[in-house]
Amino acid sequence: MQIEIRNRPSFANLLVRLLKGDRIVAESNAMASMSSSITLRTMWNGGFLGAILRKIFGGESLFVNEFTTASSGELVLTQPLPGDIECIELKGQTLYLQAGAFLACDPTIRLGVSFAGLSSWIGREGLFRLYVRGYGRVWFGAYGGIIVKDIQGEYVVDSGHLVAYEPSIQLRLSLAGSFFSSIFSGEGLVMRLRGPGRIYMQTRSLDGLASWVNSHL
Amino acid sequence: MQAEIQARPSASVAKLTLDTGEMVVCEVGSMIAMSTGFHVATTARQKGSSGLWAGVKRMMSGENFFLNQFTAQRPQQTLLIGPGVAGDVIHHQLHAGSLIVQGSSWLASGPGVTIDATFAGLGKALFSGESVFWVKCTGHGDVFLNSFGAIYEVEVDGTHIVDTGHIVAFEDTLDFRVGKLGDSWIGSFLSGEGLVCHFSGQGKLYCQSHNPPSFGQLLGPMLKPRPA
Repeated sequence: MQIEIRNRPSFANLLVRLLKGDRIVAESNAMASMSSSITLRTMWNGGFLGAILRKIFGGESLFVNEFTTASSGELVLTQPLPGDIECIELKGQTLYLQAGAFLACDPTIRLGVSFAGLSSWIGREGLFRLYVRGYGRVWFGAYGGIIVKDIQGEYVVDSGHLVAYEPSIQLRLSLAGSFFSSIFSGEGLVMRLRGPGRIYMQTRSLDGLASWVNSHL
Repeated sequence: MQAEIQARPSASVAKLTLDTGEMVVCEVGSMIAMSTGFHVATTARQKGSSGLWAGVKRMMSGENFFLNQFTAQRPQQTLLIGPGVAGDVIHHQLHAGSLIVQGSSWLASGPGVTIDATFAGLGKALFSGESVFWVKCTGHGDVFLNSFGAIYEVEVDGTHIVDTGHIVAFEDTLDFRVGKLGDSWIGSFLSGEGLVCHFSGQGKLYCQSHNPPSFGQLLGPMLKPRPA
């Protein structure tokens, strides 16, 4: 199986070349086009209960699709947002993903949902978070470019910009500055992260686009 | 005419260089910049085509009633054209036959290309996620297309499947029907793909990597209602 991330960073999409026996799991409705030699199987997104939890709390879809072929074929997978896609290889560890960020993974990866805490919910990152765990590759997407950062101590990320983070990261919601400056600086609430660990941020946020469009309506 | 596509794929534009007497027909409003040696004419009909009805059909396919014709009066005149939305532009060389273009993806074409709206058939029109009318480019010459997202090319030999809303254009040696994905209707809808387009034949197919309705569904609920 060969997978290439094309058209980075503005309109990233995956070109997947499947050979007999290869399998890839993708988010529902991620397929843009494919050879007719490819077949797909629709599965509960990480088991029945997990799928329902994720649908309600994680903003993810109920189902994922597994693509296979009996011969060979090409498949294009995409995300609804214009932006970049990142691939990470998991070697048994876990990664938390923002709602809607998951795009595809090897069939060996387990998808699940866990409680993220009230501060995550208030910070508009969702009350529950999606996790990916196991051995294999995971592809996730963002709105805008993706910036990877390894943090040691504390680090501050504006709400709506955190795409993925390792479980060793602790999240805390706080004001950007003093009460006054937080309200008038336009930063408002921010996520205060504590490491050590790796985080993935998106260079734009959909909230930001919506408020910009709204100001022009 | 020489053509060069720049700033791919997020904000692509076509830079055209025309010699004296050469002409190009463009979508209204697509001109970004040009040198001063052009004669610009706005018309509802292309040379040799049938009058106003062509313009009306063009409107139904999501294009503009009017067209802009740029004719170079001096040698080596440059014209920069691009669509209003973020996305890609491609250059297709039409040699024979026709290119069927999704409504609103047609950007410009050379004088040897006739553009006409064509009815896709009721079933395709309602379910393909595209407009009721398509733009049919016939003849010989350059065609420029634009899209939301990057455009990629698929050489179809046999059959190929495209999700609704991802078609940009295809050669008329291809045909498609709208149907389910896989063996069952239930499976097709549970997979989140819903209806898909099954292409068959031999020819070139252009798809767009992103789908405006999917983006709209995410952004739309966050927008405030428009004041009446």
